[in-house]
Amino acid sequence: MPEKVQEIQDILAEHPFTHDLPEPEREKLARVAQLKTFAADEFLLREGRVSEMFYLIVAGRASVELYVPERGVLRLQTLGPGDAVGWSWMLPPYRANFDIRTLDTTEVIAFDAAQLRRMFDQDAYLGYQVARRLLAVVAERVRATRLQLLDMYAPPGGGQ
Amino acid sequence: MSAHVTHPAVSGMGPGVNPLVPVPFTLLRKRRETHDTWTLTLQAPEGYPFAFLPGQFNMLYIFGVGEVPISISGDPAQPLPVVHTVRAVGSVTRAMTALTPGAVVGVRGPFGRGWPLDVAKGHDVVIVAGGIGLAPLRPAVYAILRHRDDFGRVVLLYGARTPGDMLFRRELERWRGRFDIDVLVTVDRGDEDWRGHVGVVTTLFRQAERLFDPSQAIALICGPEIMMRFTVREFQNRDVPDERIYISMERNMKCAVGFCGHCQFGPEFICKDGPVFTYAQIGPFFETREV
Repeated sequence: MPEKVQEIQDILAEHPFTHDLPEPEREKLARVAQLKTFAADEFLLREGRVSEMFYLIVAGRASVELYVPERGVLRLQTLGPGDAVGWSWMLPPYRANFDIRTLDTTEVIAFDAAQLRRMFDQDAYLGYQVARRLLAVVAERVRATRLQLLDMYAPPGGGQ
Repeated sequence: MSAHVTHPAVSGMGPGVNPLVPVPFTLLRKRRETHDTWTLTLQAPEGYPFAFLPGQFNMLYIFGVGEVPISISGDPAQPLPVVHTVRAVGSVTRAMTALTPGAVVGVRGPFGRGWPLDVAKGHDVVIVAGGIGLAPLRPAVYAILRHRDDFGRVVLLYGARTPGDMLFRRELERWRGRFDIDVLVTVDRGDEDWRGHVGVVTTLFRQAERLFDPSQAIALICGPEIMMRFTVREFQNRDVPDERIYISMERNMKCAVGFCGHCQFGPEFICKDGPVFTYAQIGPFFETREV
């Protein structure tokens, strides 16, 4: 096994998204992955553009944000080590709904989205395993977003 | 550890003090924390005996307006003058935060069971605060840092609505600079200038879970009930038992000594049995709509 693949496989064995994936599946993913480093303020995904990559953050932080005219950039969520970046790459038309911008120097494992989809078409078990984990990410983000929408710290009605 | 862990319900009132009669304290100074929250420092009458435990509260009376329970947010090692952090959300708290130095505030207390710092000795302590919920936890942080060697790892997670709504910013910065406490801060809504974390306080757990050992950690939680419910689940998901999860409850307290029943919560009175409870004690009622 090439040294780089082994290095990525070792990182995948620790990463929350993939740590419980069977080893042969981790190896398949490692073979199509690259380690990349982004400087601060670089975009991992751009709103409206096709998501060509899927990222797992290893180190650093990135921000899920939206530019709103006359309000500027709204930061909606911060992603950090252990987080997966985006799921739009999995669903047609594969376009990102938000910008993802690095806040610090950020190290990621990067997967070519089209290559992953082709792999999953051939290997339903691997596809299912990744889809399950992506669903968990979506569920977690929906839960957090609902709590954000509750505006928990707003002044209570009928306060004393 | 039993479900009903003993933790302090010690009164710091001096002997002979009637707990139902307000004592006139004088507003010494006020400091603006956010657009709607102030920290008030109240001077006791000369020679008045007063001590409190982290997590306890006083009943503060604005004469002619009304009386409200407010947690003590100062340092228990320096109980006087007494420090309260008050958010202006109703008629009494609005009147209170509009007072100017020299004004008189009636004080009864301290009341209630505080944070279980004796029980927490030897354990990792994870403190989770949301919004104004940092105020009742600040005395616990002071006490833990003063006796730092008595505890394992100490982690503070704090969530606020926006960067401008964060309490005790300078203090948070100081704590972040220490090597013996991990402080993670988040806001629900960021802006372009905010470079910190954005997301509800529960989203800090992925980062925080590497900083403590769930098998022996003790959780201290204070904030809006909905925030506490979801925070409790984060601890439960990491197998922290309910007996080691402590939450501070807020209800409409009147007498503060368990007579009137205004603050009854299931079988408990928040004023005298709480405000701090283990989740094992009140969990079944916590998620019951009718309670």
